[in-house]
Amino acid sequence: MSNIAVQRIKREFKEVAKSEEGAKCEIRVELVNDSFTELRGEIAGPPDTPYEGGKYHLEIKVPETYPFNPPKVRFITKIWHPNISSVTGAICLDILKDQWAAAMTLRTVLLSIQALLSSAEPDDPQDAVVARQYKENYDVFLKTARFWCSCYAGAPKQASNGFEEKIKWLTDMGANEQVAIRTLSSSSWNIEKATEELFS
Amino acid sequence: MADNPEAMPECDSESSGARSRKPASNTATEQSDPPEGSMFECNICLDTARDAVVSYCGHLFCWPCLHQWLETRPNRQMCPVCKAGISKDKVIPLYGRGDTKHEDPRERLPPRPPGQRSEPENSAGFSSFGLDGGFQMSFGIGAFPFGFFASSLNFGDMRPASPQPGTPQSEQEQFLSKVFLWVAILFILWLFLA
Repeated sequence: MSNIAVQRIKREFKEVAKSEEGAKCEIRVELVNDSFTELRGEIAGPPDTPYEGGKYHLEIKVPETYPFNPPKVRFITKIWHPNISSVTGAICLDILKDQWAAAMTLRTVLLSIQALLSSAEPDDPQDAVVARQYKENYDVFLKTARFWCSCYAGAPKQASNGFEEKIKWLTDMGANEQVAIRTLSSSSWNIEKATEELFS
Repeated sequence: MADNPEAMPECDSESSGARSRKPASNTATEQSDPPEGSMFECNICLDTARDAVVSYCGHLFCWPCLHQWLETRPNRQMCPVCKAGISKDKVIPLYGRGDTKHEDPRERLPPRPPGQRSEPENSAGFSSFGLDGGFQMSFGIGAFPFGFFASSLNFGDMRPASPQPGTPQSEQEQFLSKVFLWVAILFILWLFLA
């Protein structure tokens, strides 16, 4: 990796650790290998969102041409959000694409992703199914996002919505648990629809 | 998605600039190690800016860093900090003291654009006699409006460049010069006849 990229990542690493947000454990980065090409990010789900209380892990890949090109970031932790793929974790965020500027840092990228969690853009979706649910059935979207947060991001369990029973019903029929959760979430927890989709 | 207030980089750079002001005041005590959060860091490599240039929007960069940024995105020439429109010629070089050149000339980038420098206002009046501002001399035959027959010797005097051939402006100018040529010929004929 070019020298400027390594130098910068080292500095940004310190910046995140020393930042106000880092001190409050809202954002964090750690090394995956010694070459500074791959990092692991962590952001806290912002308050007053269905992601509150969750810890989200991100895969950050630093390109050779950093900082002239943006880092490649995706969610490792599963998340239910219109601008993040519920399958791959790919993020639809302009600053990670054409709006990248060389003065942005790991800190600003992590804060931008955290801000994306509190203000979704359903009209520019990454996950069309989630975006449709967000627009047409916001209440179910909130419940689903909160359920995914407690399921995958370690947030405390919320009052039961009967979601567990529906998942158990599908897994008892032989479905994989993850597949059951995704299918139920996509069909807005309509068990007939989910069953039909899974077993027909 | 760009209207996401947190996502914009400006606010961050502003706040880090404000924070950095404090440590910059005690640079004298820690000169060997560049102080953390120095005001004079390049906004791209985050190191002390070398061959420093500043954009019209006021952001400091190393010239090699800014040059590479502008090369990376030839169709989107914008400031990496505030996304103002910038270009390679629209930056101001900063010439500090103690600038030691020890680089390989083969690896040199195109040089920084030169500083814009204007002569100081001359209040001394007649003593300068216009010799430092350029020397100008004209001679020729012809009455006042028909200076076209006069040849001029101009030094140090920039004339506006002639317009590109083919443009409407150059056609207009050619037409005008023909008109004046005919007027002048008629005038001379009249002088002979009279």
